[in-house]
Amino acid sequence: MLFFRSEESARQWCDDRKAPLRPLVTMDQLWKLSTTWYESRLEADSRRPKADEMREVFARIGLDDEFWDPRSDRFG
Amino acid sequence: MESDVRIKLAVYGYFAETGRAPDPEEIARRTELSVDQVTEGYRSLRSQRLLFLEPDGASIRMAPPFSGVPTQHRVEAGWVSYFANCAWDALGIPAALHEPGRVRSRCEQSGEPLDLEVGLQGPDSSTWLFHCLVPAAKWWDDLIFT
Repeated sequence: MLFFRSEESARQWCDDRKAPLRPLVTMDQLWKLSTTWYESRLEADSRRPKADEMREVFARIGLDDEFWDPRSDRFG
Repeated sequence: MESDVRIKLAVYGYFAETGRAPDPEEIARRTELSVDQVTEGYRSLRSQRLLFLEPDGASIRMAPPFSGVPTQHRVEAGWVSYFANCAWDALGIPAALHEPGRVRSRCEQSGEPLDLEVGLQGPDSSTWLFHCLVPAAKWWDDLIFT
């Protein structure tokens, strides 16, 4: 899970490793993920989102590709 | 309070205060549990995906978003300097602390430094991007690689 200056940088990094370019996430989207995952992490009743909740969170910010589905078996 | 919750709060509280991973003795002292109870609690928290342990079962490698080892993703918040496990967790640290922070990292391709202010409402406007190579279903198969 890495930062890139631009789509071109990410694409080049993937090409160099013969790896697929995955869906790119903006800083605003990443902030929404970060707050959803972690804003209550220091509290007693905090927990990691469950699979269905994860899918819902991703979809809510436009990340609805199967890549973001924690139950997907498409990726082997 | 259940011992797992006490241990979790002590571990996360220690990370928040110091930016470093606690040892089991410190958590035992803070929770008034034995070291064996603490390491047993670590295993339970690992199964809940709240901790990631080194092979010795006693050293905390990750208490997401905090990293117990140095990484390329540094976060400064308050007077404390933290290491994050990944780009996602770099923003996760200010979110967890409910404090403004400053994220310092880099573009993985060019090495260009990232210096990003993160306020209580989120990061400053930025055109930088986040990329994850590993599909969500596989993240915990090899968390260090993810």
